[in-house]
Amino acid sequence: MPVKRSVLLLVDDETSILQTMRRLFEDEGYEVATAEGSSEALDYLKANTKVDAVITDLNMEAEDIGLEVARAAQKLKPKPAVVICTGYANLRNSRSALDMGVDYLALKPVEPTELIGAINRLVLRRRDPRTKP
Amino acid sequence: MSSKANAQNPTKMALVVHSDMGLLSGFQSALSENGFVTIVARDLATALLAITHHFFDVAIVSSRLGEGGDGWPLAGVLHLVFPRAFVAVLSPSEPDVLTLQSAINYGVREVFLQSHPPQEVVGTVLAQMSGSSEKTRGRRVQ
Repeated sequence: MPVKRSVLLLVDDETSILQTMRRLFEDEGYEVATAEGSSEALDYLKANTKVDAVITDLNMEAEDIGLEVARAAQKLKPKPAVVICTGYANLRNSRSALDMGVDYLALKPVEPTELIGAINRLVLRRRDPRTKP
Repeated sequence: MSSKANAQNPTKMALVVHSDMGLLSGFQSALSENGFVTIVARDLATALLAITHHFFDVAIVSSRLGEGGDGWPLAGVLHLVFPRAFVAVLSPSEPDVLTLQSAINYGVREVFLQSHPPQEVVGTVLAQMSGSSEKTRGRRVQ
């Protein structure tokens, strides 16, 4: 079920991935913002607090820097759904993601349907009053 | 599956799902010592029945009920039905990346080695629920 007009921030240092994912999620009805790295993403999150979901890569300017993006996103109120999408998951960064309460971990290569399904579900769940802190 | 919990006098409720009766008994004892009314289930059907009858604050589920990995979707259901509950999974082996991925994606808060004593697991769960997870890091699976 498409979720209309929800704002999604995509963070990846590969332009081709950003373009592909932007197209996918715009087709799903999302308003998509993109950031080509963690610093750009952190700037975006400082300036824009109304974000419904964030999908971030892990390794960009530095190893596991995507965790910083996830942390910054989780400080927003209301908290957006936070998804990490990486090809470099290991025990350390996966454990960190679990401890932080990241909502979804996708391992590249990831099927677009998996990612879209996860985001739609998580964004809908955020609207459920039972899940509000 | 009777309980003393009601809306006026809410009792902390826990669900433990595992096929090993001895382990269930250990968890029931450890949780009771900490003030929980504990419902135990040895299979998926009984666990689902319990979910329809009670409101759980804590759920501890084996990752393997009938077959390997079938405890994860049950943990996911528990997270959806009781979004504020602390849902933990017992893993038979040291968790790898895929185990941690399952934990994240099913909304599980913690993964414990099944071989850990129930008292330790319950202690860690309660510490994390009260926000003092720093003290318990050493007791977790990794």
